[in-house]
Amino acid sequence: MGGSDGDVQLAFGDGLPFREWVEAYQDDLIFYTRQHALLSLYCVLAAAVIAVVLAMLVYRSERLSGLAINSVSVGFTLPSIALFGILIPFLGRNIATVFPVVVLYSLLPALRNAIVGLQSVDPAMLDAARGMGMSRFRMLWQIELPLAWPVILAGLRVSAQLAVGIVAIGAIVYDVGLGQYAFSALANLGSANTANEALACVLFVAAIGIAFDLAFVLVRRFTTPRGIRV
Amino acid sequence: MSDTKDVTTTPQADSGSDAAGVPIVLEQVSKRYPSAKSAAVDEISMEIPAGEIVILVGPSGCGKTTTMRMINRLIEPTSGKIRIDGEDVLSLDDVKLRRKIGYVIQQIGLFPHLSITQNVSLVPRMLKWDKRRINDRVDEMLMLVGLEPSEFRDRYPRQLSGGQQQRVGVARALAADPPVMLMDEPFGAVDPINRARLQDEFLSVQEKLRKTIVFVTHDFDEAIKMGDRIAVLDQGAKIAQYAAPEEILSGPANDFVEGFVGQGATLKRLQLERLETLDLRPVSAADKTTSRVPINATLHGVLDEMIATAQESLVVVKDDKPIGSVSLDDVLARVRELRAEAEAKEGA
Repeated sequence: MGGSDGDVQLAFGDGLPFREWVEAYQDDLIFYTRQHALLSLYCVLAAAVIAVVLAMLVYRSERLSGLAINSVSVGFTLPSIALFGILIPFLGRNIATVFPVVVLYSLLPALRNAIVGLQSVDPAMLDAARGMGMSRFRMLWQIELPLAWPVILAGLRVSAQLAVGIVAIGAIVYDVGLGQYAFSALANLGSANTANEALACVLFVAAIGIAFDLAFVLVRRFTTPRGIRV
Repeated sequence: MSDTKDVTTTPQADSGSDAAGVPIVLEQVSKRYPSAKSAAVDEISMEIPAGEIVILVGPSGCGKTTTMRMINRLIEPTSGKIRIDGEDVLSLDDVKLRRKIGYVIQQIGLFPHLSITQNVSLVPRMLKWDKRRINDRVDEMLMLVGLEPSEFRDRYPRQLSGGQQQRVGVARALAADPPVMLMDEPFGAVDPINRARLQDEFLSVQEKLRKTIVFVTHDFDEAIKMGDRIAVLDQGAKIAQYAAPEEILSGPANDFVEGFVGQGATLKRLQLERLETLDLRPVSAADKTTSRVPINATLHGVLDEMIATAQESLVVVKDDKPIGSVSLDDVLARVRELRAEAEAKEGA
């Protein structure tokens, strides 16, 4: 990480060169990167479960699906930092404030895709399934979910990217993840090492994002039924 | 039904052990939708004899598909009774009922994420057959519809042509050995050449299995070809005529049926007459050069061949061996006989 730009010197700091700084704070960096990645992962998993369950409840109703998808669009326009601000008075400055907000944002693309995925299953397929004597539950489990899976997964991939980004912002509420470097840099603008902190935040958050994206490629490869793999 | 059947030891289709059809009776069955002024299906009553193919044919919107879909309760009737083998279907659990009724639709509806084996074995698996029996059954069904099991078992639907997919659709519907099959324009989506082949193959399968089949189509020619009986339906699924194809062709009950039969009823009538019913002449030396027709050809096909080759006499072959000859006069004589039969029936 940053091996080649050992001589980076930004104007507003006179701290260590980036590579030396990384080496000096190696343990912290590893700890926060892991923490950041795991928190994002848990949030995405929670969002995935909630999204699929919600989608299964609403996708058959034109009205409820419309409501859900419109709420998603509205949700995207809310700045996360404002949402954190609203929740702090109620939940305090702790992880319990960070978690629900990240889950909520991850939920947005996941839910939208899960609904669209379930709705886009060919009606002829459902007619055949029903005509063969499949119960509602069996149809959902054996036909609709597997066929909607690639679309659901595409939504989760976006969710993961969002989660990684919002967890970084979550550091404003609670000392967690790589976002702390960004906020520390902002708070101490002009002091030594602020450039290193900012750069570390950007690079390592991006690395987590890329790692998640690669993981999704593998997950898609191994969980998509062979007959519908592209 | 099939639950008592043991594992078939031979992979060959074994007609003796398969469940033959059972009768279906509709009694004043109606379907009304709250939003519509007139009933989609208005008190239809009909008896569908065991082991026959009954065609529901009519213009679009006449209620033929609705009628069919009420038999396996994909649509719940508003009123009336439907009995399959004497049992009132409305008193049964709808999901379990459907597992005992084969279902084939025009769009085929194979599940793309499941292999051919998984598609065909779906209903047997729901009925909890044991593994070996299911495997044997899948192979047996694939063979029955003319697909080599070792080649097709592990393929996925998208790797099959339209005709092959529809064969799998039929195999899937027959897998749990249901006594009754519902088929909604099953060959409507395949090209004309493949359609004719699929129809012929299906008829020969049915000859072995003798299922009770309700077959919906809007194509009257298909109805003539496939049906033991045809119900011509008008709006509201009112039965305009319910009779054998020959009868409908030679004596349409009213203008509606006549209009539906369309032009060329006499020629269509000849599609129902097989060459086998004629006394063949012996093959003469002079016939050696003339064209050949198979013994199972229809008189329509024979006439077509005569016109196509501009010959008045054709050699009849069975398994590629000449067994006699047929002339234009023979065909015309048969046409006169048929006309006399029809007139006698009308007079009676």
